[in-house]
Amino acid sequence: MSQTITIDPVTRLEGHGKITIQLNGQGEVEDAHFHVTQVRGFERFSQGRPFYEMPSLMARICGICPVSHLIASAKACEAIMSVRIPHTASQLRRMLNLAQMVQSHALSFFHLSSPDLLLGMESDPKLRNIFGVLAAKPELGRAGIGLRRFGQHIIELLGSKRIHTGWVVPGGVTEPLSSDHRDEILAMLPEAYTNIALALGAYKQIASSFKQEIEVFANFPSNYLGLINEDESFEITDGDLRLVDPKGAIIEDGITANRFTQVIGEAVENYSYTKFVYYKPLGYPAGSYRVGPLARLNIVKSMGTPRAEKELAEFKQLANGPVESSFYYHHARLVEALHGIEKIEHILADPRILSKHVRATAGVNRLEGAGQIEAPRGSLNHHYKVDENGKMVWANLVVATGHNNHAMNQGVLQSAKAYVKNGKFTEGALNRVEAVIRTFDPCLSCSTHAFGQMPLAMTLLNADGEVVDRIIR
Amino acid sequence: MTQPKPRCLILACGNTLRSDDGVGPWLAEWAQKRFRAESQVRVITRQQWTPELAEEIARAQSVLFIDCSVDSAPGSINLTPVEPTTALQGIATHHQGAAELLALTRDLYSTQPTTAKLLTIGAGSTELGEQFSEAVTAALPEACRMIEETVLLALRNH
Repeated sequence: MSQTITIDPVTRLEGHGKITIQLNGQGEVEDAHFHVTQVRGFERFSQGRPFYEMPSLMARICGICPVSHLIASAKACEAIMSVRIPHTASQLRRMLNLAQMVQSHALSFFHLSSPDLLLGMESDPKLRNIFGVLAAKPELGRAGIGLRRFGQHIIELLGSKRIHTGWVVPGGVTEPLSSDHRDEILAMLPEAYTNIALALGAYKQIASSFKQEIEVFANFPSNYLGLINEDESFEITDGDLRLVDPKGAIIEDGITANRFTQVIGEAVENYSYTKFVYYKPLGYPAGSYRVGPLARLNIVKSMGTPRAEKELAEFKQLANGPVESSFYYHHARLVEALHGIEKIEHILADPRILSKHVRATAGVNRLEGAGQIEAPRGSLNHHYKVDENGKMVWANLVVATGHNNHAMNQGVLQSAKAYVKNGKFTEGALNRVEAVIRTFDPCLSCSTHAFGQMPLAMTLLNADGEVVDRIIR
Repeated sequence: MTQPKPRCLILACGNTLRSDDGVGPWLAEWAQKRFRAESQVRVITRQQWTPELAEEIARAQSVLFIDCSVDSAPGSINLTPVEPTTALQGIATHHQGAAELLALTRDLYSTQPTTAKLLTIGAGSTELGEQFSEAVTAALPEACRMIEETVLLALRNH
């Protein structure tokens, strides 16, 4: 008799999802799926709105990475306006995006994943949360809070609000950076460097104790996609996309936002509301790939900042070619956060950073435009069509979680096969299957902010759908 | 941290698009204006309280939390002392209660405000909307008076 195990909801994610594991008559894992169970509808209800409202509307998609949607949307609008934004506006947006990356990565590492990493996958689930970490490792807790504050405070200084700032607009930004705010950000840098060094040190100390997890946490050859500069250095705000194969060889380079839809497609599976994004020339699912910190570090030759450069060299030593285990997303995330701090310092040294010229203006000059950016969890593309009056007639958003969807499903299956044996599972096994998803840090939508109050239930169903076993925590 | 250390921290939470849930931000805005000239009063408003706020609490001598309550009668005001607790309702990376934030402050920074109080107003409605219910609207003057009294007391005692 075949059976199904359901993990619903998956906890410590940005949004709502569940996992089902299908067992065969012998109790062995036959198949597994990660389901995204919510519908948002942003592409639909934006139709009819003036295009210049899109950045602030689209930012509402997410409370963790609104900056990504804000900038990708503004870029799509600028393609419609056919304008090139001023240098200072571009640098300020870059700093905003970097600040968001630092705070989002700190949230992912410290708040969502460190309970597993620092307390152990098998530790008491009642204590396996951020409070448990803070009690056991207060110095790391303070570092995590410090890094979050660093990123969020920069966002607040630039955009007047920590979340959903309206500062980024089509054509640039609404206000220049003041010298007081520049100095305030500069003053925060030393503590941020100390905190990220502490996090990297702690991660490296414990990573070697997760050999089995490294082995089965979505550890397989895949393609990788991400933005990259012309000099092959790390990039999250501008540049074009590069896709590499499992050996690291370039499949396609220079994928601009406008060309994105020509080469990237979206497949649909009946078990999830999130689409499955793939590279059209290879078809689906062969053209699937991974995005996000792991992919970004796998595609670049350098980080472009000295401290992160050393960390990248160490990261590249993990494999002969692309680093394949998704467990190393955690590592890559910390390297990126370090880069973010360095790059912010670099941007603030730009003599033009206080320039008052931060916005270009124009009307509708094209009826179609697209913008792309790297969100903390991966590539993000906004593609819009408008009428001659600038009203939105069509929108399509391709988000990081869609890019990673196939890999996450593969990862759930791989880990379920490793940890669910003879139809039996432990709480620790259940947690590990969830933890695979957490490595990707998917953003299913954090708009509800309610997962903390939900129980985690794992249910074993027989072929007739009857409950034969259930664990709740 | 570059802000001066406040004697009194007012920490409000709520969603201004969910009717009475917006009463915390409304009262925080009132307090911001009322104590504009008082540099030792700091007002922070968030949609939800998150762990990062422990750092702010650690720097304050007294803290006044302001929130709406769905468990109290609509418009009823309660001002109660808050003690740190680690009895979590669940894993909460996006949101903590006042007592949990105090516990976090104690565990992370080995310090506590001398006084910590929670002022709540019972919500009549938390449906989508930007208007308060009649009960909450009627309670606003008394809530403002209690906030003023609490803050002035905190400033006198430190």
